[in-house]
Amino acid sequence: MGFDLGEVRRRMPSRALHWHRRMDSTMTEASRLAAEGCASGTAVIADEQTAGIGRHGHSWHSEAGLGLYVSVVLRQKFVDSFPGVTLAVGLAAREAIVEATGVVCDLRWPNDLLIGGRKCAGILLNLESKAIIAGIGINVNHGGFPEQLRELATSLRIAAGREFRREHLLVELLLAMERYTKLIEEEGIKPVLRLFAQASSYVSGMRVRVEQGETALEGVTAGLDESGFLLLRQDNGKLVTVLAGGVRPAS
Amino acid sequence: MTIEEIKQIIELANESGVAEIEVERGGNRVRIRRAAASNQEYVIPSVPSYAVAPQLAPPPMPEATQTAVTADPSLYLVKSPIVGTFYSSPSPGAPAFVKVGDSVKAGQVLCIIESMKLMNEIESEIAGTIVAMLVESGKPVEYGEAIFSIRPA
Repeated sequence: MGFDLGEVRRRMPSRALHWHRRMDSTMTEASRLAAEGCASGTAVIADEQTAGIGRHGHSWHSEAGLGLYVSVVLRQKFVDSFPGVTLAVGLAAREAIVEATGVVCDLRWPNDLLIGGRKCAGILLNLESKAIIAGIGINVNHGGFPEQLRELATSLRIAAGREFRREHLLVELLLAMERYTKLIEEEGIKPVLRLFAQASSYVSGMRVRVEQGETALEGVTAGLDESGFLLLRQDNGKLVTVLAGGVRPAS
Repeated sequence: MTIEEIKQIIELANESGVAEIEVERGGNRVRIRRAAASNQEYVIPSVPSYAVAPQLAPPPMPEATQTAVTADPSLYLVKSPIVGTFYSSPSPGAPAFVKVGDSVKAGQVLCIIESMKLMNEIESEIAGTIVAMLVESGKPVEYGEAIFSIRPA
């Protein structure tokens, strides 16, 4: 399915949108634009990424014409809400998917979007050039995935049994990100943490394993702390705070 | 160096609160490390400890940099602005942003600190030479923890 950028421009006439048929990574281009001093809200969209970037050197499978690959430059000052803004971007992506497709995703702390335990969207944020660059990759119309991703990945099409217009999803995503950045600017991170706890099955009462390099922790999730870090109750009763790392359900 | 002088160095270290000090005089060298004192800074009773930072002592420094770099007042310390995980390179296996001995400019990226998948590029605030990297890549850092020492140009 093609991508009608004109439709997005009609819905958001004042927004700086950079669409590319094929590029290495929207993150790299957004980074360049941020360094040049581009406006807040500037979005870089690619139909296909040849070197899509995931967290810390992982790649993001970015097939032509099937997914929504977008990086948005945010220049708001989230002084007290930092780094919880990462949770807000996950919530915004979740709401956009509901609005555009009706599919409801789970959120895996801090910001993976899952359907039936499989990932349908990933988010990465970089702080550089005094801006936050939020990269969002959503699997929209993929009919299937390569062998090594089959157990881990899914798409909105696989979940809903039909294809979706990526333009609609992009508009909803940019609008949702606007709503959340406004919410944080006006009310701080607290409402974001409350909404995240409601939307994510991972925040409390789930037995998980957290891989962090060569070490791993296991326990039952026990909510978020005031900054948005995940709390984990270990079997010895000790409460620990998870700063980062892959959180996975433990059997 | 006499026992009396070593005692004085220990007292000096205690009073100043430095974690480690090394003194060389007339071919004798003594290094005082206040492990117990630095532990106390990391234990915060009734507050959950950080899962990725189960050890109470500060992360061990690579052997080559264990020369009291945090105690030298002429050195500039780059401190972590947030709680997170320290990475010396943009991705695993990639070359480090900087290494000991490198000259850096103000504004040059020194490392990344990841917090909740938010990758924070930490830039040098001054020009100078990297004297030590005080944290091992992949290890957790606390707010305000010294991560690099730089000799100002």
